[in-house]
Amino acid sequence: MGYEPARQISRRALTLWRISGVIQFGVSLLASIGLLVAVLLWEWPAWLLWIAGAVLVLELVFSVWLLPSLKWKRWRYEVSEHDIELQHGIFWITKTLVPMVRVQHVDTEQGPLLRKFRLSTISISTAATVHKIPALDEVEAEEVRQSISSLARVAEDDV
Amino acid sequence: MFEPKRLHPISAVINFVKGLKDAAFPLIALVVLNGGLSGDAIDWIPLLVSSGLLLFILVGGIVKWLRFTYRIEEGELRIEYGLFVRKKRYIPIERIQSLDFSEGIFHRPFQLVKVSVETAGSSATEKAEAELTAIYKVEAQELEELIHQYKQADYSADEEEEEKEIESPRESVYEMRTKEIVLMAITSGGAGVVLSGVGVFFSQIMDALPLGAIYNEVVDWIQIGVLVVAFTALLILFTAYVISILLTLTRYANFRVSIHDEDLIITRGWLEKKQMTIPLKRIQGLRIDENLIRQPFGYASVTIISAGGGISQGAENQLRLLPFVKKENIPIIMEKILEDYSFDIEFETPPKRARLRYIIRQSWLFWLAVIPVSIFFFPLGLLSIVAALGATALGWLAYHDAGWNIREKQLTLRSRTLLRQTFIMKKYRIQSASKQQSILQKRIDLSSVRVALKSGAGGQFAECSFLKEEVVDHVLLWYRPEPLPTQPNE
Repeated sequence: MGYEPARQISRRALTLWRISGVIQFGVSLLASIGLLVAVLLWEWPAWLLWIAGAVLVLELVFSVWLLPSLKWKRWRYEVSEHDIELQHGIFWITKTLVPMVRVQHVDTEQGPLLRKFRLSTISISTAATVHKIPALDEVEAEEVRQSISSLARVAEDDV
Repeated sequence: MFEPKRLHPISAVINFVKGLKDAAFPLIALVVLNGGLSGDAIDWIPLLVSSGLLLFILVGGIVKWLRFTYRIEEGELRIEYGLFVRKKRYIPIERIQSLDFSEGIFHRPFQLVKVSVETAGSSATEKAEAELTAIYKVEAQELEELIHQYKQADYSADEEEEEKEIESPRESVYEMRTKEIVLMAITSGGAGVVLSGVGVFFSQIMDALPLGAIYNEVVDWIQIGVLVVAFTALLILFTAYVISILLTLTRYANFRVSIHDEDLIITRGWLEKKQMTIPLKRIQGLRIDENLIRQPFGYASVTIISAGGGISQGAENQLRLLPFVKKENIPIIMEKILEDYSFDIEFETPPKRARLRYIIRQSWLFWLAVIPVSIFFFPLGLLSIVAALGATALGWLAYHDAGWNIREKQLTLRSRTLLRQTFIMKKYRIQSASKQQSILQKRIDLSSVRVALKSGAGGQFAECSFLKEEVVDHVLLWYRPEPLPTQPNE
């Protein structure tokens, strides 16, 4: 991609994503146990178990181990005086440029899990689109929000 | 105008008809369920319910009309209404973008219009728009004039130009010829829409009728021969097509674009007259569409992407500026409407190595499906190869038609899925721009560009895929508010 935006999101995001990966894995695990019971009790076909096992392994490898770190490594952003730049994506890498003049408002939001990790998500809205930076350190997020909203206010609004 | 005013009484009728339309399905269902049973007391219940419903809709329509008042007061359009709950909606006049007029069959005999108040594309949740179901045309014009004056006074409070601003005449800049309307109707994709409508209609009927009895008949029918079925299908298709043509003809009759002060005014329609007002400064960009039938004959349509309106203007047809026009005439016509857009554009195209990607993207699903379909439906299934070949051809066309151009402050992106779409945009109207690239594309130096425009309450996106990476970087650099000191070496 040549030139990359400078700043990375919080390292804790990685842990957070791993945890949600584990939760997802846990749900699948429960479903698989249910399936195992069904096979034992009502003689459901056994090949279902093979599929379930494969899904579990894949989930462990991808959504707990590989994807979070790739996602984290790729996520970058930069806020300058005139524009905001975002870059993300694992297989499809998207780099987005939002001029400060176009920003209509900035929000930060924090779910329970994010709060636990002192992280927070920023949404930047233009007249047509919404762009999110996930899992920034909450102090940093507040700074970024403030700076964007003060920079955006300077710019004249003509939609 | 400071007195609270009522709408014309005909609004009650319109409310009633509208309510009837909304309740049509349960009503019909009730009647159908009730049909053909013996005279027990219980059988009367559905009938009672449906007549009660009918009465309720009727009274509701009248009360709605009685309760609805509007007035202009303290620089606001104030509307009060509500059947059970009294609601007040006050819209500041400076937020009103335009008034759109339309006349349905109920309006015409009494010189009435329906007025839709369009505000600056507020967010969908805010819903600041309002509708006056039926008022006299004269009143509507008075209202428009009042709003206009109010805004003028606002703008030129410190300038002494009020004398000059009074009235500039409405200047007609484009009219559709009858021949063009007919050709448009014949080549439109609307036939498909009507056809699906017919399909839905029949499936509904099928559900409502006693199936057992019909089934036997259908079996007999099939025995008569596939020929009859095919003929019927053809007949339905043809009828749908004719209906679609007639609909288009009535909708687009008397199509005219004119300019009045800083507004673009589109009027059209024969049975139902419509007038749309689009403030010129709300225009975000233009889109030129060419479908597969029209393109070979050199015809296209031009659509305005406008920030105004919002939810009620969802139907895209409404913003067709030039619904059907010879492509070579577009620059001449547009010169009179929006002079700062340029149309004679030399497109730069994606590199040769992108061709295969376009073809694969468009057709891989079809080729994947060919094998199982051919095996399971052996002789006939082979026809799927034709479909896959078609998709491949489309992919090639998509490659052939893709292109981009930057000229000063204007970005033009052209792409095709089925339609060939050309987006013409100004730098200061683009909301955001992104570059997309997959890991595989990185290796062969390709990437895609996508920009967002504001359209109604949401956004619209223009794309061009599989360009050289440096081209996409160049577009982003052009879009960047303050160019970086280092230019890329071309």
